Amino acid sequence: MKIRLINENGLRVDGRRPDEMRRMRMEVGVLEKTDGSAYVELGGTRIYAGVIGPREVHPKHLELPDKGVINCRYHMASFSVDERKPLGMTRREIELSKVIREALETVVFLEEFPRMMIDIFVEVIQADGGTRTAGITAASLALADAGIPMADMIAAIAVGKVDGVLVLDINEEEDKYGEADMPVAIAPHLNSIVLLQLNGRMTPEEVDKGLEMAQKAVQKIHQMQIEALKRKYRVEPEGLET
Amino acid sequence: MSLGLEKRGYGIKIMKNKIYELLKIGKRIDEREPLQYRKIEISTGVVEKANGSALVSLGKTKILTGIKVEVGTPYPDRPNEGVFTVNAELLPLASKTFEPGPPDERAIELSRIVDRVIRESKAIEVEKLCIVEGQKVYMIFIDCYVLDYDGNYFDASVLSAVAALKTMTLPVYRVVDGRIEAVPGEEMKLPMRTLPVSVTMALIRDKIVVDPLPAEEDVADTVVTIGYDSEGVLSAVQKSSPGLLPVNMFKEMVKIGLDSSAMLRRRLLEGVGDG
Amino acid sequence: MQYFSENELVVPGQILSDNPRQSGFGTYVREGKVYASVMGFAKSINGVLRIIPVSGRYRPQRGDKVLGIVSDVKPNAVEVDIGGETTAVIKPHERETTPLKIDIGDCVLAEVKATGLKGIVLATEGLQKIPSGILISVNAAKVPRIIGRKGSMLQVLRRETGCDFWVGRNGLIVVNGPDPAHEFAAVAAVNMIEREAHTSGLTERVIQMLRKMLGRGDEDSSN
Repeated sequence: MKIRLINENGLRVDGRRPDEMRRMRMEVGVLEKTDGSAYVELGGTRIYAGVIGPREVHPKHLELPDKGVINCRYHMASFSVDERKPLGMTRREIELSKVIREALETVVFLEEFPRMMIDIFVEVIQADGGTRTAGITAASLALADAGIPMADMIAAIAVGKVDGVLVLDINEEEDKYGEADMPVAIAPHLNSIVLLQLNGRMTPEEVDKGLEMAQKAVQKIHQMQIEALKRKYRVEPEGLET
Repeated sequence: MSLGLEKRGYGIKIMKNKIYELLKIGKRIDEREPLQYRKIEISTGVVEKANGSALVSLGKTKILTGIKVEVGTPYPDRPNEGVFTVNAELLPLASKTFEPGPPDERAIELSRIVDRVIRESKAIEVEKLCIVEGQKVYMIFIDCYVLDYDGNYFDASVLSAVAALKTMTLPVYRVVDGRIEAVPGEEMKLPMRTLPVSVTMALIRDKIVVDPLPAEEDVADTVVTIGYDSEGVLSAVQKSSPGLLPVNMFKEMVKIGLDSSAMLRRRLLEGVGDG
Repeated sequence: MQYFSENELVVPGQILSDNPRQSGFGTYVREGKVYASVMGFAKSINGVLRIIPVSGRYRPQRGDKVLGIVSDVKPNAVEVDIGGETTAVIKPHERETTPLKIDIGDCVLAEVKATGLKGIVLATEGLQKIPSGILISVNAAKVPRIIGRKGSMLQVLRRETGCDFWVGRNGLIVVNGPDPAHEFAAVAAVNMIEREAHTSGLTERVIQMLRKMLGRGDEDSSN
């Protein structure tokens, strides 16, 4: 029996239209002991991101004389998925840590921190599709909250193909039974891609259209990021007395 | 804002003197009384994918526990008992002194203390977690994650684990043609005998304080955690730092801990909506 | 053209101006335009665009007063933990006849003499050893607010609480007062200033809170 992912009205398993995102919620400054932190919810996906640094490099031999280094750990709680995830890092988590780090590295002005390192921790508390993209969105907020100089923020979303239809922000079921999953992270002001993966079959035309959908959604997510940052710092224009 | 300084291998003299000075008049650096806990907040059911979950904050310390249930084979010497394991991780975003990688001795000590407090109090009625004797039993995985660390992760983790256990649900299984299957739409609560809690105390000179801050642990002569069940019977003790613990001081701690444990259990019951 | 209003809270990547010569602290130039690189309040000062950051770790500058704890005493240098996992050093003069009387665990306030590849060097001249008090860590970006314009906030804190304050630009602060009640009030005030650093009317609210805590709520606030 094949699971139908798009019904006769063109709606998806959770009732969304193909170009509709799930509810997203962001909060900045949620952890006490990091230099910057954020919490992001996207549908059932829940993520904490924390940034520590810039600090001295450990172990010492990894330090670079002319620029800083970024470490990134994407990690899922054992209970975040349907089948309990064994402890320790899986191959998937190690790969995602690398691509997330590379996405963020692209915008951080590393040359301002020679011989220093910045740690980025992405903790998935619950996974319901889109954890790497929500994780990057959260990590970018945490970096801004930590006061790390960057050329731009990063916002991310996944597009996918289910029952032959291109859909925005695929959930876990669509990821599992659909034909393709394409996570995209974009630096909105630079209008450039900083992370792109494709898992599944898509025609060149579909990739084009999918990117357009992602670009549109990224603008929306970026706007939410700005609002979340401003909420933390409760701006009152006349309030600055320095 | 926090009191003191993170990560160091030396004592800070001015803090030490201030902590001593304040304790002489029955005060602490964060304005608490010696036997007063920080503010406790408990929310349960925070991770729908888990069979049970609880987010507990104790002051600025924050612990998330999630529980997953599986079906597995019992131990040969306990053919009709369910199995549970406790694991704790010190997430590197919780403190600058926690590092990514496999659990270090602190994380392992934490998971073993939470395990002992629950196991030795016989809180979980494991004999009711048998599905087919000798073949199929419930396996319960209790995983505690330290999200924010500002001292005393022991008591916060125990509260979080027990709150998650108390509010979790398990699928109900039946045997059909020699195979087990989940009964659709049916769930059960975890059978529990008692609600264990732990009380962590620091001995600072001749004074005992409960729920110590990191700055207090730094100057403490020693730190002790005691687990109690609902009847006030001890189920676990851990002296978790070097230093001398005079016998009479430990006896005093057992009494102080008993009072605090009653308060913690009331808070726990309120937190799980049973108060 | 300028794309922001004075004191606007800007985020990294936000465009600020078309004139690359205006690029100042917290901004960068790309393709002839000026963008923000950190989050903070944008200001135009004498034609230069600067961002006053709202967060971030302390970056030592020559002349800053920093507070730290002596973490090691070596034959040729004294190491001082100045928070943020950073160590500074004090190098006593070779011809010094009386060695610095400092021990591991002592709390000191000193001026940054040099930064750079050789590390952060603190001056021995004017070095102060702090005898006693409560040590507090705050975000270094909030320190200017705790000090206030020309020290105005510190004056208020000292007057209202009767406590001594030693404030390091690195975010470490020591408070020492006549009795615990006044010290706790001082700590609460520092916490409030850090939390509400970017809001208006803060000085007045700090005074009100302190008077309420210390039971002097009915006194004239101009006093």
